Amino acid sequence: MLALLQVLLSGLVTGSLYGLLALGIVLIYRTTGVLNFAYGALAATVTSFLYVLLTGPRLPFWPALLLSLLFALLLGALVERGFARPLLAAPILTKAIATLALALVLQTVVQALWPQLTSPVHFPTPFEGHALHFGGLYLSLVDGLTLLTMVLLLIVLQLFLLRTRLGMAMRATADSLEAARLMGIPVGLIFLLVWMLASLLAAVAGILIAARQTVIDVQFMDPVLLLAFIGAVLGGLDRLEGAVLGGALVGLAENVLALLLAGHSLGALDLGNPGIREALIFAGFVLLLLLRPRGLFGGAALRRV
Amino acid sequence: MKRMDLPLKRGRLGQSAPRAALSLTASERPGGASGSTRLAWQRAAATLLGLLALVLLPLLFDLLFGDSADFQLHRVTLILILAIAALAQNLLTGYAAQPSLGNAAFFGVSAYLLAWLNSDLQQPYWLAILVALLACALLGLIVGGPALSVSGAHLAIATLGLVVLTGSLLTLWDTSAGRQSYELTALPEALGDDRVLYYLVLALTALIFFCAFHLLRSRVGRAWIALRDSEVAAAACGVALTRYKLLAFVVSAVLTGLAGVLYATWGTTATASMSSVDQTIAFLTMIVVGGAGSLSGSLLGALFVGLVPLLLGELPDPLMLGPLQLPIATLTTGIYGVLLLLALIFFPGGLSAVFSRGGRLAREEGGKP
Repeated sequence: MLALLQVLLSGLVTGSLYGLLALGIVLIYRTTGVLNFAYGALAATVTSFLYVLLTGPRLPFWPALLLSLLFALLLGALVERGFARPLLAAPILTKAIATLALALVLQTVVQALWPQLTSPVHFPTPFEGHALHFGGLYLSLVDGLTLLTMVLLLIVLQLFLLRTRLGMAMRATADSLEAARLMGIPVGLIFLLVWMLASLLAAVAGILIAARQTVIDVQFMDPVLLLAFIGAVLGGLDRLEGAVLGGALVGLAENVLALLLAGHSLGALDLGNPGIREALIFAGFVLLLLLRPRGLFGGAALRRV
Repeated sequence: MKRMDLPLKRGRLGQSAPRAALSLTASERPGGASGSTRLAWQRAAATLLGLLALVLLPLLFDLLFGDSADFQLHRVTLILILAIAALAQNLLTGYAAQPSLGNAAFFGVSAYLLAWLNSDLQQPYWLAILVALLACALLGLIVGGPALSVSGAHLAIATLGLVVLTGSLLTLWDTSAGRQSYELTALPEALGDDRVLYYLVLALTALIFFCAFHLLRSRVGRAWIALRDSEVAAAACGVALTRYKLLAFVVSAVLTGLAGVLYATWGTTATASMSSVDQTIAFLTMIVVGGAGSLSGSLLGALFVGLVPLLLGELPDPLMLGPLQLPIATLTTGIYGVLLLLALIFFPGGLSAVFSRGGRLAREEGGKP
């Protein structure tokens, strides 16, 4: 029983990280119509920047973190202006491929600037080795911080999107570009802000994931991104709550499957193999999507005639 | 606040702006004006010339490369194989407007089936290919059926999931059999010769493009283009949506399967990375860079994806640019990415639009997702 609770707890942590990434993916998809496959590379770039600040000039953690988050905002703005804006009118597949090209470019730039990141390196944080205990439950400090950050971010984001004029403008732009422009919303500025916000979310998720697994390289986000995408699609790709719930579901499934499959084997096949876990998650995802084509929490399909 | 110049309509997957259904471009219209007839003649002449050049290519390589001609020819063969895969993706995505990212699954499965039947079960090579292609047709049907109810970005991610799933299963097969990749040990000896392989692949590619050209001008192709332009209007005109969508999935799966067995033959090995996200990316890049909804686009896309990394690999490392010393080896991927971005930004309708004399019309046509 306690083992199951423990697994559910760590599943919740993994899930909230996927949810955070899915949130950024949905935010960008809804507002600018870009399926952003460069999202992982964005997160990895900022995390690498933080790593370099921590190990090169040996800045203390918190100022370095602040600088990295500022860098994330800058990077988001740069990507929007230099890359997303020229492609705004392009078909969606073109944009998706362009984000993949962007990911290649970002990874190469990181590799060229900081060659040490081509192979796995240790990511130092002040939280490493500390843990919290609740009864028999164990929660590492990073995991606790992840949950806390997630809750705070969700509250702030929800308040921002629902209560502020800027948030309302963002939602209006996502709902209907034409209507938003007619109401005098500067949609170009909104696009810029959405990319900056999404880049910030990616940075937070990337840094938390790096702190959690303590080892990073330039591609450490690649396996995570696909699972975040699954979370986003399960959530319906059209609402932010859905993205968080979808991400949480994927994280929980991953951890529960790990518990169930560990130590079992089928013939010569070790079922505890992460490959099997991944395959099962994808199979379940495809099946779920067949039953609910618009995702678990997606809105009704609208057909434009 | 400065008003940005933004287009009113954003492209959404599978939802093109409602346009007149069954609208055909000048070259597609039967019995078009004399201008389009001349265009058709020019096109046919250009195609024949291109084909002739490809037939004579080995001789040219002999002159250019001498001893390493066969090796260079081997590398060029890959581009032709990629062109078949690009065509398969283009028929499905560029013409029938199904944003499926699942083709890499068929690519890997057919290669593994060939390896299994030919190397382990000792079946004849051609029979193994036939079985692999039939299996791909069946898989295409199985994937295409559910795809009718899932659409747009959901379909894209779901089919991508299928690719990853297939990749993991193939890896598991490899690990449980205790091998790194599946070697093809019983290939026909003639195919070991680079020239024979080149001419075989060239003949197949030419045949397939010829068939595709005529398929697209038949009832089937017109139906695909109609449902791409507007599903509702196509259905109203009596196009059986289900049948033609399924047909697109099956045709695409079989062609991808053919590319898969050729690729395995070319490399004499089948690897699980044939069904990976990277492979999917390569397929999509080819049609997006070349031009979605364009036959020549498939060729140009394959040329870009196949040739650019080859050429970048030929750059001296490190490259001296005045006082700058560039470590090319680490930058290759990034340069490829930059070139890709530039191609997409400056030719959003694909490279084929540049060469097309149809000007704006062709560009609009090629810009369809």
